[in-house]
Amino acid sequence: MRDLNRLIRYLAYTLELLVLFMLQETPGLLPEIYGARPVLVMPAAVTIAMLEEEVPAMAFGILAGLFCDFGYSGVLGFHALVLGVLCFIVSLMVQAYMQVNMVTAFLTGIWTLALTISAQWLFFYYFRFSEPNYAFLHHYLPKYLYTLLFVPLIHLLNRGLSQSLGTAEK
Amino acid sequence: MRDFLRAGSFKVLMIAVVVLVGLLIYTASAGGSLVASLLGFVSTPMQSVATEVTDNVTEFLDLDAFTKDELKSLVAALQEENNLLQDKLVDYAEAQQENQRLKEQLKISIEAPENEMRSASVIGRDPNDPFFGFSIGVGTLSGVNVGDPVITSRGLVGVVAQAYPTTSKVNCLLSEEVKVAAVSIDRQESGLVSCSITMASSGLLRMNYLPSDSQIVPGDIITTSGVSGAFPPKLKIGQVQSVEKSETDVSRYAVIKPFEDLSSVKEVQVIVSFPGKGEEEATIVPSLESDGEEDPE
Repeated sequence: MRDLNRLIRYLAYTLELLVLFMLQETPGLLPEIYGARPVLVMPAAVTIAMLEEEVPAMAFGILAGLFCDFGYSGVLGFHALVLGVLCFIVSLMVQAYMQVNMVTAFLTGIWTLALTISAQWLFFYYFRFSEPNYAFLHHYLPKYLYTLLFVPLIHLLNRGLSQSLGTAEK
Repeated sequence: MRDFLRAGSFKVLMIAVVVLVGLLIYTASAGGSLVASLLGFVSTPMQSVATEVTDNVTEFLDLDAFTKDELKSLVAALQEENNLLQDKLVDYAEAQQENQRLKEQLKISIEAPENEMRSASVIGRDPNDPFFGFSIGVGTLSGVNVGDPVITSRGLVGVVAQAYPTTSKVNCLLSEEVKVAAVSIDRQESGLVSCSITMASSGLLRMNYLPSDSQIVPGDIITTSGVSGAFPPKLKIGQVQSVEKSETDVSRYAVIKPFEDLSSVKEVQVIVSFPGKGEEEATIVPSLESDGEEDPE
């Protein structure tokens, strides 16, 4: 029964990531703020990582990262690597030092999204294009703040999934 | 710490890191992969449906231009129409869209019958792309390849950057990576159209390498010159908004307002074949550049 719950939960997370990817990619669906749109799969991966053990957390981080890679550049691996490692670390931190609640989810979202989007700016913009400071202030920073707004909402969704389908293994 | 390093989960992490680094290097060098194609197969139909639904809802909600009476009559007409078309609604919408696409293609084909085109819908815009790149619902199975120009009836909008079996990624004209050999049809002066993030955020383009005594004036129309073999000649790009002195040398540049709204284009045509395609491998070499001047960008 426990294994069945786990399987269903993992399927639900996978479906959630797929749906969030569709939502973030659909033109005109989410309103733009200062020209930026949110990257929904990033907070989803981080909040899933807070509720799962390190290896499944990493796996969902990699899946979310692959979606980001596919949607953005077609060069697969970068976001998968960053999110995979981050989710692994987040899961270990939660198991060792933290409680899972709205505040810790938001605080975790702040530093993980900052790292991911900064890495994105550094590797995909700074080394390739001109005027990196302008890009950071006018594209990456608004996108980071906008994405951060979705952390509590997605955390609630994942916590609901996790509670209803049990994380008793922990 | 030692226990952690010996733990199974750490080994799994290390294996995942090695595999992903390998995947990163492979896709960066080979330009595509089975994983990307698989993701495309899974996501493309869902993206198409999501985009279509969003477009219909947006259109329905845009009611500001109507008066109350007009809205009432519109509702009544829609109800009547809904009753009549209830069974045929899905097919009707699809047929209408297809018709629109074909009309667009026919219009462009009449203007340039020598170009072979594929019509496509914009199915996705990634929030991570600062230059308004987008995905379209056709790929290599439809004959689309990397480097193919993407246009609308209003002019050039971008170039295919990645092609998968059923979907393609398009670098918008506002991207720094897209550079187009262009000419002013009024003055017959050539230049290189490109963009930067500051101009992209205003939806404008920049035509570089104009001579210091350039005759180009605001209002002039800019088209592709076709000299590089990457784009067919005479594709409309935009209209000159102003002509400025370059920040780095004696040349001038023109600020161009594209004819198409590049950040919200929905239906496009991909030119998969045109006379002279790829004849010149090298991109345009402007006279100033060949004289040893540096790119003002």
